[in-house]
Amino acid sequence: MSTQSTLPSGQIVFDPRGTVTSETVALAPRIETLSGARIGVLDNSKWNASKLLRATIARLQSESPPSAVTQYTKESFSRVASAALLDRIAAENDVVITAIGD
Amino acid sequence: MSQEQPIHPADATEDHLHLVEWYFQQGWTDGLPVMPPTPETVAAMVDALGGDREHLEARVPPRWGNLTREVLAVNMVLAGCKPAYAPVVRAAMLALCSSHFNLNGVQATTHMAAPLLVVNGPVRSEIGLNAGANVFGSGSRANATIGRAIRLVLLNVGGAWPGDLDKSTLGHPGKYTFCIAEHEEASPWAPYHVEQGYRPEDSTVFCIATEGPHSVTNHVSDDPQGVLDSLVSAMSTIAHNNAVNSGSCVVVIGPEHAATIAGRGWNRSDVRRYLWSHTTNTYDDISYQGRYGTIYNRNLPKWYRRESGARIPIVPSPDDIHLFVAGGDAGRFSAFLPGWGHMTSPVLRAVNGQAPDGREKCVDGTCEL
Repeated sequence: MSTQSTLPSGQIVFDPRGTVTSETVALAPRIETLSGARIGVLDNSKWNASKLLRATIARLQSESPPSAVTQYTKESFSRVASAALLDRIAAENDVVITAIGD
Repeated sequence: MSQEQPIHPADATEDHLHLVEWYFQQGWTDGLPVMPPTPETVAAMVDALGGDREHLEARVPPRWGNLTREVLAVNMVLAGCKPAYAPVVRAAMLALCSSHFNLNGVQATTHMAAPLLVVNGPVRSEIGLNAGANVFGSGSRANATIGRAIRLVLLNVGGAWPGDLDKSTLGHPGKYTFCIAEHEEASPWAPYHVEQGYRPEDSTVFCIATEGPHSVTNHVSDDPQGVLDSLVSAMSTIAHNNAVNSGSCVVVIGPEHAATIAGRGWNRSDVRRYLWSHTTNTYDDISYQGRYGTIYNRNLPKWYRRESGARIPIVPSPDDIHLFVAGGDAGRFSAFLPGWGHMTSPVLRAVNGQAPDGREKCVDGTCEL
């Protein structure tokens, strides 16, 4: 696609931004209840993320006890989680909770 | 109009000024006036990039804009580049967009890091890159506009607009332009890229996310240990990201310091090993003396001893200190540039895209360091 266009004055200008190619992906259907669900907990390895996740799981355990809670940790908080880890999380859980916290 | 022809005063019409203002109004500049592109200057730049204007070179995060050769050419013209700079800018963008570098994180982080480019090999003199006096400063078109072209791509295509997708709390001046060359002619050692397995006649671009340079002064020592102990002093602090996030960093040795160090027979490896061995913080210091409870810090390597009195290196190995010689002939100064942390890996790419035979961790011509 050309970056070039012409202003009403006749001057030629160029758009330096480049296009963005995107694909619309539907959200997963919302789960009816957390009770009895398999909960994945993805810790992104930041200092306070694990504290927030622990508190969240503790509250879930008392309010809507899940059937299983499985912990996962990203290798780096800033890097994209590996495809293998994401596949494993998707296969082993109904819901995933993650957090970020410096 | 050719890039080489000066603009005659008669050409500096209101229309020309108007276009500069027009680009400001679109928000497509770094805050400085740009050179308005013309069909001719863009076409010349596309040719210098290899032709085929629709060719997709990379997608630039976090906006993930499509960087075609034409889009890259437009940004290079806006920055004021000559077509001769095209191979270096292209190599740098491909290196920055390799997965090892994690440009997505570098662009979006609250930390101040910005991608630094260090160029080695014959291309430096071919295009007039400054490796000497004021190497990190102003005055050289090649350094200034290559670094600026990279920044314009990171802004325009990558969408790293301050406060929007670039969340940096402070940023640093290298977010305008941040490109130097190694002063191979003033260095007593083999060039950086040769240390990394490339041939002297190869030209390479090294990219790393770093803070700005911190001056290291030592006008007294006449031995390697003395000079390097000043660097050790600058590097041994808990304030930079390396101290708590590991990763890698850059040391730039000024020519006078390099001569003193090499005069006693020390080579590059000796320097890096000395710096690594002595640049440490105590575990107590990086744990804030326990003031906020027990801190394990999972962002440091597992094999560090997490106990009172343990000496903690700032990077995992001597190879994580990337050493260059640059700067003017006079002055007993060097510089330390802390990195962003383990969240990024420095990358090295030959300008012609050819990785050395047998080198590991190279994908499509870009090598993780």
